[in-house]
Amino acid sequence: MSISRTHHRDASPDKAVDADPAIEIVGLSQSFGDTQVLHGIDLTVGAGEVFGFLGHNGSGKTTTINVLTTLIKPTVGVARVCGFDVLSSRLDVQRSIGYLPENIRLYDDLTASENLCFFAKLSGVKDVSGAIDQALGFLDCTELADRRVGTFSKGMRQRIGIAQAILHQPAVLFLDEPTSGLDPMGVRQLRETISRLNSEMGMTIFMNTHLLSEVSRVCTTIGVLAEGSLIYLDSMDRTLERFPDEASLEDIYVRLDYR
Amino acid sequence: MTERAPSKILTLAGLEFKSAARSRVLLLLILSMVLIAAASITIASYDFKAQIADYEAYLQQARATGVAIVAPPQFFPLQLLRGVIEYVQIIGAVIAIGLGYMSVARGRHGDTNRLLFTRPVRTREMFFGRLLGAGALIVTILVATALISVILIGTVGGQWLNGGEIARLAISFAMAAFYMLIFYALGVWISARSKVLVNGLVVALVIWLSVVLVIPQIGDTMDPDNQVPGGLFAALQVNKADEKKVLANFSTYEKVRNGLEETSLTKHYERLTFAVTGIKDTYAGKSLSYIAGEKRNDIIWLGGYLFLLSGLMFSGLRQERKTRKVT
Repeated sequence: MSISRTHHRDASPDKAVDADPAIEIVGLSQSFGDTQVLHGIDLTVGAGEVFGFLGHNGSGKTTTINVLTTLIKPTVGVARVCGFDVLSSRLDVQRSIGYLPENIRLYDDLTASENLCFFAKLSGVKDVSGAIDQALGFLDCTELADRRVGTFSKGMRQRIGIAQAILHQPAVLFLDEPTSGLDPMGVRQLRETISRLNSEMGMTIFMNTHLLSEVSRVCTTIGVLAEGSLIYLDSMDRTLERFPDEASLEDIYVRLDYR
Repeated sequence: MTERAPSKILTLAGLEFKSAARSRVLLLLILSMVLIAAASITIASYDFKAQIADYEAYLQQARATGVAIVAPPQFFPLQLLRGVIEYVQIIGAVIAIGLGYMSVARGRHGDTNRLLFTRPVRTREMFFGRLLGAGALIVTILVATALISVILIGTVGGQWLNGGEIARLAISFAMAAFYMLIFYALGVWISARSKVLVNGLVVALVIWLSVVLVIPQIGDTMDPDNQVPGGLFAALQVNKADEKKVLANFSTYEKVRNGLEETSLTKHYERLTFAVTGIKDTYAGKSLSYIAGEKRNDIIWLGGYLFLLSGLMFSGLRQERKTRKVT
């Protein structure tokens, strides 16, 4: 895997230096019974960033997303999205975010546009049909609108899943392992979509992933989580500068993880 | 971007209605209930028509033999609804439990709960949305059944219902809607509380079996008056006052028997609707206000069950949100 230096920080150079961070995590710890999953994480993601969150299975990436998307309450610490606290301003956080879980299914009995209509209305979108047309057009999947989601392939579901996440044009988009189960063409399309969402719609993107090649091509900042602790956090540019001898991001990741 | 709670409730209700209406299993159950109810009322209507014909033949014969005054007929066409009410009691409750189970299963299947719970929606909006959507589907089923009943009584039975009878029919079907909603709330609550979803369905069906079939059957079997067709006391030509005196000697037994029946939601629904429609002869031809007074206890029980199960359903949804269970 060779490192691409043409990631999209160049496409929107000013976004990453916005004054207000899109995501702020201070001293976040998360426990489930006796098991502590996150250990005092501190993390800031600037508005307009594409943040790649790396880590092994079970390192706590999805738990972090669950806290930030208000699915679970943090045990200790503070988490804010667009300045709103996930505990005290839950509804404000939910209005500000879009979310694509891993292995999205949606409602099988409904068509794609019925699914989108449902989530658009719940998100408070006024021009529902306009928003659906725009999202489907953006993702180049207008032909799927009237088909039942139950008949869709993984890739089709993923596109409709992204459409539901961006219908209300959220400030921050959370993607949990978005490339999981996609074929190479699907992965490439998703990469392009993420880049466009960031550059054209100005969304901050927080992405959990295993695919290091995607991270190196798309992300502006990376964080590495190991056993619930954040062991690395820096911009993609500086990462590549700090590890000039590494041949690929995979080498960097392995070196960080075993350090 | 503004959001109003009523529109979110309607959106959630729409999902509940649309998804349930597209379920083949549920449609099959609904169709079965409507068809069986229609068959039952058709048979009853033919019998009713025969009774009218017998009365008219008797009237002609009486007139021919010079009898001037003939007692007016005592026909209560709403009594033909007995079968329909009983099918709602049994199959309607199963449909409602199925609706509740599916409502929870829909969210757990494929983790759509994750999407729903990250939208700006409050638990109470989810609660009212689901209740409204399920209620709309239940009302649709019952209105269809009621319309078929009215048409069959009119066409097959030969007697169209008057305004008063339509009002009584509407009241009895409104009771049926509440009855089914209670079972829907039970289905949601038990399913939402179950880690393994299918276990929830099994537990709900065991409760259905007890409440709908077992307890009322025990109560009926323990009732001495039910031991002989037409009633034991009537067969022995014992009047109501003497019947009460006899039963006073078995007050503990009667308290246990009645107490057992009181725990069954189905029994309260049956007592109420049988009284409103006049299926129970004691209430045939009696005013609605009289029936409301006499059946106050059953109305309170039915309202109490609706309140209790709705509360439990709300707590189940809150729990579901908290734990985000996934199948």
